[in-house]
Amino acid sequence: MVLGEARKPFTELRRGVAEYCVLAVLRDAESYAFDIVRVLAQAGGLVTSEGTIYPLLARLRRDNLVTTSWRESDAGPPRRYYRITREGLAALVAFVSDWTSFRDSVDAVLIGFKKGEA
Amino acid sequence: MDTEALVTDYLGRLDAAARSLPASRRAELAGEVRQHIEMALAEAGGRDEVTVRNVLDRLGPPDDIVDAERGADGPPPGWTISATTGPGTQSSGWGGNEIAAVLLLTLGSVFLPIVGPLLGLIFVWASQQWTNRQKTIASLIVLVVLFLPFILLLGARAGTTITQSVLIP
Repeated sequence: MVLGEARKPFTELRRGVAEYCVLAVLRDAESYAFDIVRVLAQAGGLVTSEGTIYPLLARLRRDNLVTTSWRESDAGPPRRYYRITREGLAALVAFVSDWTSFRDSVDAVLIGFKKGEA
Repeated sequence: MDTEALVTDYLGRLDAAARSLPASRRAELAGEVRQHIEMALAEAGGRDEVTVRNVLDRLGPPDDIVDAERGADGPPPGWTISATTGPGTQSSGWGGNEIAAVLLLTLGSVFLPIVGPLLGLIFVWASQQWTNRQKTIASLIVLVVLFLPFILLLGARAGTTITQSVLIP
């Protein structure tokens, strides 16, 4: 299998799920962009270009899924902190449920296919 | 290469890629990315070339960042902003650039032939109200109209030469 062909669908998939991953990071505590992107990068494979976190956060802001406030920091200029809103939390809960059933369906088909081949 | 120049070059490419974004968002994005670079360099504890290149690599190509402004299935960025700001805000109003462009393209072609419309195009491209697509269409129309006489003239001359060479072997 060609590596490039195998990776391409994940670009689209990553794009679709990234904002919910950000909402999930913000579920328990507010955070700032630099920190959010580090958490996602540590999870592995979720972020390929760290800079894309900024357009993503701007979109969440516009959709009122997060609110922001500027906070002084110990080092450097003030940081913009992001906090999940009630709408954001509702969107996250709905996504988690959809994602779980979606993932199970894909797994069932993939695993079934694999068994059938063996 | 000087490491400051690497950062400046990166921000320059980001700014160029972000031309299609609304001016306010374009400036905000540039500030966010600049601060990100500063934080990443402070965290790395050095500003040598390898560190700077690594930080910029992790940020990703400027085009990727601007593409992400469009989102998974959302409309293009210019659209989103004008739809959310609604009527009565500065994003729907015409400024000096737009008025100058329209005057030069209309009255300008009568009072300042050729020069007027070309100056008008400069104001068209300076506008932050119009999209690149609209600007390109305006430019094509002006250029075609300006050069149409020459094209027709050349066409007519070429036509006569061909007819002559066919008729007189």
